[in-house]
Amino acid sequence: MLSLSHIEKIYRTDTVETLALNNISLEVAKGEFLSIMGPSGCGKSTLLNIMGLLDEPTSGQVTIENQVIHGYSDKALSQFRNEKIGFIFQSYHLINDLPVLDNVELPLLYRRVSSKERRKLATEALEKVGLSNRMKHYPTQLSGGQKQRVAIARAIVGRPELILADEPTGNLDSAMGHEIMEILEQLNTADRTTIVMVTHDEGMAKRTHRLVRLFDGALVSSNQFYTA
Amino acid sequence: MFTHILKLIWKKKKSNFLMMLEIFVSFLILFAVWSLSIYTYRNYVKPSGLKAENVWAVYINFNTQNDTIRGEYRELVRRHLSNIKEVEHFSFSSGNLPFSFSSSNRDFEYEGKNTLSDYINVEPSYAPTLGIEMLAGRWFTYEDTIGKIDPIVITRRMAENLFGNKEEAVGKIVGLENNQQKVVGVIDYFRHKSSFQADENCVFAASESWLSDMLIKVAPDATPEFEAGLARSMQQLGKDWTVEIQHLDDMRRTQDKTIWVPILILFIVCGFLVFNVGLGLFGILFQNINRRKGEIGLRRALGASKSQIWTYFVGETLVIAGFGVFLGLFFAVQLPLLNALDVESAVYGWAMLLAVLSILAMAVGCAFYPSRQAAAIYPATALHEE
Ligand SMILES: Nc1ncnc2c1ncn2[C@@H]1O[C@H](COP(=O)(O)OP(=O)(O)O)[C@@H](O)[C@H]1O
Ligand SMILES: [Mg+2]
Repeated sequence: MLSLSHIEKIYRTDTVETLALNNISLEVAKGEFLSIMGPSGCGKSTLLNIMGLLDEPTSGQVTIENQVIHGYSDKALSQFRNEKIGFIFQSYHLINDLPVLDNVELPLLYRRVSSKERRKLATEALEKVGLSNRMKHYPTQLSGGQKQRVAIARAIVGRPELILADEPTGNLDSAMGHEIMEILEQLNTADRTTIVMVTHDEGMAKRTHRLVRLFDGALVSSNQFYTA
Repeated sequence: MFTHILKLIWKKKKSNFLMMLEIFVSFLILFAVWSLSIYTYRNYVKPSGLKAENVWAVYINFNTQNDTIRGEYRELVRRHLSNIKEVEHFSFSSGNLPFSFSSSNRDFEYEGKNTLSDYINVEPSYAPTLGIEMLAGRWFTYEDTIGKIDPIVITRRMAENLFGNKEEAVGKIVGLENNQQKVVGVIDYFRHKSSFQADENCVFAASESWLSDMLIKVAPDATPEFEAGLARSMQQLGKDWTVEIQHLDDMRRTQDKTIWVPILILFIVCGFLVFNVGLGLFGILFQNINRRKGEIGLRRALGASKSQIWTYFVGETLVIAGFGVFLGLFFAVQLPLLNALDVESAVYGWAMLLAVLSILAMAVGCAFYPSRQAAAIYPATALHEE
C-alpha cells in the first residue's frame, strides 16, 4: 500500500538546521492498522505529513499503491490526496463557520460530485460515526469527542484507501478516546481501510496491528501484535 | 461551491458587510464619474456645427449710445472690410459670440407651449462666416428682414422641441400676435459654448438693434502683422473707437478648460477615494487570509490545489463585491427610471456597465496578491500552527 524508503527530512531556518527524520524506511501493507509512538518532537507528525503528501522529504522515496510519488504537479498531488487519503488531526481542524454536514462535505467540493450526491455521501459518513442527529449543528456546539467523530466522517466521506490520524485521541478523555478508537477499528476491519495513527497511548497502540517507535527522527523498534 | 462561499460569507456578515458597504460607495462614485465622462465624451464627439478656424471675434466699442449713429458706423466698417482681400466673410452679431462668456436666452411659444432657447442676433453673412450648413430651408437674407414677420433660423434640437419630430419646421410661425417670427431654416448642431456643450436649443434672429460685436473670417495665410494692421485700420475709422481682436479657437480652448479642469480634479479626487477603498480591501483580505491559515491548510490537505485556493479567495471577494455592486445598481437604475436629469439613458447604461467592470476589476486586483499568498501556504506548516 504505502512504502517509504530512506526518507530524510531536514528543516532549515536562517539559524538552525533540524534533522526531523533520519533515514526512515517503512512498509505499510494494505488493510494494516499501524500505530506510531515516540516522544514529543521526534518527528511523528513530519512522518505523517510526508506519507500524506503534505510535505516533501528532503531525500528518499515515497511510494503509494506502486506509484512512486515524484515530480507530480501540485494539481496531481492535490487530486491524489483528495482521492486516496483521509486526514484526522489532534485538534480536529473543523471550520467553525460551517455546519457539521458542510464540514463533512468539504473533500467532495474538490471533486466532480453533484451537490445532491455530496449531501448523500456526507449523511452516510455521519451515520457511520453515529452523528446523523447533529448534521445541522455547528462545531462549537459539539463536545470534543463529537468533533473528532465529525472529523472522521470528513476523512472517510471520499472513501480513501488510507487514513492518516495524528494523535486523534490526544485531546480527549479516555472514554471518548475509546469511542474514536472503536470507530477506527471498525473502519479498518469492515472497510479494509489502511490506517496509520500517531498516539501517545500505549493501550491504543496495542489495539493496532503493529507499533513502530520513533526517537529523534529515527525508527527504533517495531512490535507486531496482530496481522492484517 | 457557490453556496459554500455564500454560507461562509453569511457567517462572517459583520466584517463582510463593511467590505460590501465600501464596494457600494465606490460603485456609486465610479458610476457618477463614468456617467459624467461618458456624457462629456458623447457631447465632445458630436459635430459642433461651426468652423472656428481663422475666425476672429472683433469687439468694437463705438463709444456712442445712439442707435442711428451706431448703424452708420457699422456701415462704415462693412465697407472697409469689404475692400480687404484677406477678409473672406464677416458678420455683426449680438454680444454673445461663440465661446464668449456672454450668453442670452429667450422663451419661444408655439401652440401654447414655451421653450427656452439661446438667442443670437446676427446678419445674413453669419452662416458663411462660421461655415454653418443648412439642414432644411435656408439662412435668412436682407429681403426677409424687410417683411412684416421677422425670420429666424433654429437648430434641429429646437425644431424638435417646438414642433416635435414629425412636423416640418420651415415655414412655421412662432410667438404671439405682435411679436411673431417665422422659421426660414433649420441647422443641425450649433454647439457654440464649448467643445463639451450638449446639443441645445439655439435660435438666430436678424434684429439690427442688438448687433454690437462681430466675427471675421480671414484667409488661412493671415499673419499677426495683418491682424495688428486690421485692428489699427478699423480703429482709425472712428474718432475714439476701441477695437479688440481675439481668435475663436483660442476662446474655445479657454471655454473648454473651464469644463475639463474641474472634471480632471473630480477624477483625481475620486481616483484617490477609490484607491483608498482598494487599499482597505487589500488589507482586509490580507488579514482574513492570515486568520484563516488553518482553514487553508486543511483545504489543501483535503485536496484543494493551489489554483483552487486562489480561485476560492478571489471568488469569495467577487461574491462580496457582487453584493455591493448589486446594491449600487439598485440605486443607479433609479436615475434613468426617474429621468431626473436631461441625459440619455444610454449614458447611464454604459456608466453602469463600466462601473461594474471597474469595481470587479478592482476587487480581483485587490484579491489577487493576498489570494496568491494564501495559495502558497504550506499545508503542513499551516496545520501545525493551530
Ligand atoms: N515547519 C517546520 N520548520 C522547522 N522545524 C520544524 C517544522 N516542523 C517540525 N519541525 C521540527 O521537526 C521536529 C519534529 O517535529 P514533529 O514532526 O512535529 O514532532 P512530533 O509530531 O513527533 O511531536 C521538531 O524538532 C520540530 O521542531
Ligand atoms: Mg505532532
